[in-house]
Amino acid sequence: MSTANLLNTNFEDESDEEDFNPQPQDASDGEDGGEDEDPSAQIRDEASKRRVEEDNGSGDEGDVNTRAPNDGEEDEEEPGDDDEEDDEEDEDEEEIAGPKRKRVKRDRRNVFLDVEAEVDEDEDEDEDDDDELGEGKNFIADTHPDDLADLPAGGETDDRRHRELDRRREMEASMDAEKQAEILRQRYANKGRSSRGLGESDIVPRRLLLPSINDPSIWAVRCKEGKEREAVFSIIKRIEERIGTKDELAITSAFERGGTQSVMKGFIYVEAQRASDIMAALDGLMNVYPRTKMQMIAIKEMPDLLRVHKTPPLEPGAYVRLKRPPKYAGDLAQVIDVTDTGLELRVRYVPRLDYGLHEDLNAPLDGPNGKRKRAPAGPRPPSRFFSEVEAKKRHAKYLTGNPQTKTWTYYGDEYVNGFCEKDIKIQAIQVADVTPTLEEVTRFSSGGDDGTENIDLNALAASLKASTANASYLPGDIVEVYEGEQKGVKGKAVSIQGDIVTMAVLEGALRGQTIEVPVKGLRKRFREGDHVKVIGGSRYRDEVGMVVKIAEDRVTILSDQNNSEITVFSKDLREASDSGGASSLGQYELWDLVQLDPATVACVVKVDRESLVVLDQNNQTRTVMPSQISNKIEKQRRGAVATDRGGAQINMDDNVKEHGGEMRTGKVIHSYRTYLFLRNPAQSTNAGIFVTRTSAVNSVTAKGIVQASAGPDLNSMNPAMKRNPAGGAGGDMAPPKSFGRDRSIGQTVTIRKGPYKGLLGIVKETSDNNARVELHTKNKTVNVPKDALAFKDKLTGASIDPGTRGGRGGFTPRGGRGGFGGATPGGGGWDGGRTPGGDTGRTPAWGAGRTPAVANGGRTPAWKSGADGGRTPGWADGSRTVNPYDGNRTSYGGGNRTPAWSAGGKTPAYGMSNDAFNAGSKTPGYSGGTSGGDAWGSKTPAYQPTPAADNWGSSNHSGGNSWGSNAYDAPTPGAAMSAPTPAAINAPTPGAYSAPTPAPYSAPTPGGAPTPAPGWGGGGWGAPTPQAMDAPTPGGPQGYYAAPTPGAYNGGMPETPAANWQDDGPRYVE
Amino acid sequence: MAESTSFVPTGQHRNLRACMVCAIVRTTSEFIKHGCPNCEEFLHIAGSPDQLADCTSQVFEGLIALADPSKSWVAKWQRLDGYVKGVYATKVSGTLPDEVVAVMEDEMRIRYLPRDGTATEAD
Repeated sequence: MSTANLLNTNFEDESDEEDFNPQPQDASDGEDGGEDEDPSAQIRDEASKRRVEEDNGSGDEGDVNTRAPNDGEEDEEEPGDDDEEDDEEDEDEEEIAGPKRKRVKRDRRNVFLDVEAEVDEDEDEDEDDDDELGEGKNFIADTHPDDLADLPAGGETDDRRHRELDRRREMEASMDAEKQAEILRQRYANKGRSSRGLGESDIVPRRLLLPSINDPSIWAVRCKEGKEREAVFSIIKRIEERIGTKDELAITSAFERGGTQSVMKGFIYVEAQRASDIMAALDGLMNVYPRTKMQMIAIKEMPDLLRVHKTPPLEPGAYVRLKRPPKYAGDLAQVIDVTDTGLELRVRYVPRLDYGLHEDLNAPLDGPNGKRKRAPAGPRPPSRFFSEVEAKKRHAKYLTGNPQTKTWTYYGDEYVNGFCEKDIKIQAIQVADVTPTLEEVTRFSSGGDDGTENIDLNALAASLKASTANASYLPGDIVEVYEGEQKGVKGKAVSIQGDIVTMAVLEGALRGQTIEVPVKGLRKRFREGDHVKVIGGSRYRDEVGMVVKIAEDRVTILSDQNNSEITVFSKDLREASDSGGASSLGQYELWDLVQLDPATVACVVKVDRESLVVLDQNNQTRTVMPSQISNKIEKQRRGAVATDRGGAQINMDDNVKEHGGEMRTGKVIHSYRTYLFLRNPAQSTNAGIFVTRTSAVNSVTAKGIVQASAGPDLNSMNPAMKRNPAGGAGGDMAPPKSFGRDRSIGQTVTIRKGPYKGLLGIVKETSDNNARVELHTKNKTVNVPKDALAFKDKLTGASIDPGTRGGRGGFTPRGGRGGFGGATPGGGGWDGGRTPGGDTGRTPAWGAGRTPAVANGGRTPAWKSGADGGRTPGWADGSRTVNPYDGNRTSYGGGNRTPAWSAGGKTPAYGMSNDAFNAGSKTPGYSGGTSGGDAWGSKTPAYQPTPAADNWGSSNHSGGNSWGSNAYDAPTPGAAMSAPTPAAINAPTPGAYSAPTPAPYSAPTPGGAPTPAPGWGGGGWGAPTPQAMDAPTPGGPQGYYAAPTPGAYNGGMPETPAANWQDDGPRYVE
Repeated sequence: MAESTSFVPTGQHRNLRACMVCAIVRTTSEFIKHGCPNCEEFLHIAGSPDQLADCTSQVFEGLIALADPSKSWVAKWQRLDGYVKGVYATKVSGTLPDEVVAVMEDEMRIRYLPRDGTATEAD
């Protein structure tokens, strides 16, 4: 029967488990003639055997012996015993291990019984596990005949019989399946051991492999860090060495999960039944420390020890970092291609070549191949694109390639488009946490032939996304699960521990619950309109903006800073409380003024993570690296000012408005030379910054504009000037310039105001407005405004010229001074000379004064007359001129100039005077005439009535002539003067002057002279001036005058004029 | 194979490779000389550097010294029971070429389980 065959083979197969069962069967088969194909026959056989045995009692030793090793499960019971009992007692008997004879006796029966027992088990298994069907069937088949045999013998177990029958039928029915199983079995038998393992792994899911308490335990054993692998190899070595010896290691396995990044480094894990096994096994092993705190791993944690994470596959275009060779360690490389196994990559990177520049030609050759010894590691060359030109210089013979395709081979490496392309093993690169910087990526992006930049954003994104270090959640973040079973759940992060986020679910079915989710499947959730900040991983880090679009985990935000749209991963975003955004990169901040090159400055308008955008003075925007900025121009120049097109001052922070153009307005944040960097918050481009020239803007702030001096217009308040525009004109004229040495130098002065008020000193130097005065009181030289000085006589201490300076009104005093002047004519004269510069009225006087002094009295008067006119300046000049020269010239000079004055309307008079002057007698004539009568008495009239002048002139002239002749001819006016002057003057003067003049002055010479002054003084201008002037001037001439004038004038009348002139005169006398 | 030892001195560690099928770790030369002790039947690594490159990987992590494959839970978990004693890796990066997998699965009726971590994550 085929069945029988089948059974037989099955038996053989099961030899593992029941080594000896086949024997008896074989024997019986043999006994039976070997052709017992019919199960029933076999059964009968068996039955008969049993009977025989029973008959024999416990005899049949031989049998027993042969079978002894076989059956451990013999019973002492009779074969007729319940099988069930047998079953139950099997185990006990095993241990008891009864005498062999029993075994023998039991043997046959046992075979059946046992088999049957196994059948039961197998049956169960069959139901559980189809895979073992084959085996199960075999057993069934095996037992089945037994049962049949049993039936007649015992016959008590109907139940079992039924079952057996059922089984049998079943078996028969499933013959086909069995055959299949057999086929399968044979098939698998071919595979040998290895296949068996695989077969099982194929079938048994991991969850069924979870460790149980029956499995050996695992202990963590300390190990020297970095030596884990060595330790494992040492262990395997020891295992192999001692295998089969009495010291055989009792551990079942040992493993390590080291690695620089691993959290399990520093341990090896040893699997054994007992900790003592481990101690024995590892004792004396290098780098392993079983004696220090061995730690048993909890069963449920055991699978974690062996957890393996898949390394994400690299895609072409991704960025990695090189680890080897050392020259390129840390350099960024881009993956071009990945081999099938994923273990080798083709990458490209920017080479670091020195093209033999630092090659040591004298290095000894190493070996016959002519290989040079490796150069000692020095500073590695900078990373630059490959240049075939450079390579050709020294290494032409190592260079081959095609210029068209830009593909080169140099020293065995391939260079394409300047990049080095190389196949590299995956161990030599770093894949995780690459985080390429913008600067690095740009080098790879600009590889296009047309120069266009094409950054592969996807590759970049992949590289950046891969770095998990950046995913950070904070309590309060709104998160969404996008992966795994809880996909779609939204909630708020409550706490974060490591990679696990605890979140309170806010919506959906789980609402109100708190769940824990791994970071891996989590992303942050934002709504459009949220104000967010980029927090990392992206080159937009620290940008702040508003969410405008959300697609998957990519969020587009509108940047606050420059209104541009940027797209980032939601994991890189966080709700922003501040609106700031990155405003500084290194030392450069937004809106800083920086110097790009000596001729260019620029204002920072945007700060990126690694670059700045600047707006330069030419209104061009450019992106620069901080390294391209030469320095920052500090904004400390608070005082820096510029003027707008209207000339008004522009200060920092002023608001200005463009004149024309777009009429933009803005606040000045920087001014550089003629450029203004303005900020207008309403403008979106360039962070609101724009550039204009100072000349193109108007200041619109009132603040900060310095008003021109707003005092009352003195000129308009000056009646004299109003009344006499001509004179006014004169007054407006620029003060005469003084040439040569400032006469005030060396003068003794008192200081009239300021901190040094009242102190006496000597003028050491002067500038236009200030004088440096060496104080008498202490050894100190101080700066004092000139107008705070009062000049004093060196010897007498009398004030000399303040009058000159002071208002016109204060002339009277001058009279007095005149007196003084007399004393120090020289000084007075000088001062006067200068002072006039300031005051019109006076000058003439001085001039006059001087002139006389130097020259003749005859002239002086002439000057005076000039004075009246208020032409002072002119006169002043004249007067000065006089000084250097002699009266002669002066007068002339004066005369010459006078015409100019005459233009003022006095012309006639002047003309006259000129004439007079020219004539030589003029001065007196005029002076007498003009001053004396008309001019002074009622100034204007004097002038206006040219005729009068004429009249006078006539008279004057006559006299003048006479005078003139005298005067000029003989410089010594003294004599000459007396004669004419009187004549000329007599007429006018007398009236006005006669009285006073004589009186005061009489004593000296023409005391009268001063007198007139008063009289004049009433007149205003003319009056004082002359006096003052006169007084000193005469100083010199005094003698002359004194002598002559008096002489001449003594008469009184005549004198007066003279006196006028000699106002000075008298002084001299004094 | 039998006579070869699984021990590899430190100096040879850089030449280690792991079989992508069974994860056994040995040196390149060992593979070339004797092939993979577990998978030689169908991988035919011995004497064939090409097969060596295709079917073994120099990128692997986590060494396991397996002393008793039949009793060790680690072996069971790693599906190493039934293999020879020796050193195995917990993770072997790289994937077996498709044609090799086809041979394995069609002719040898062995299901290939990648050892690079993909399988565990599927569990």
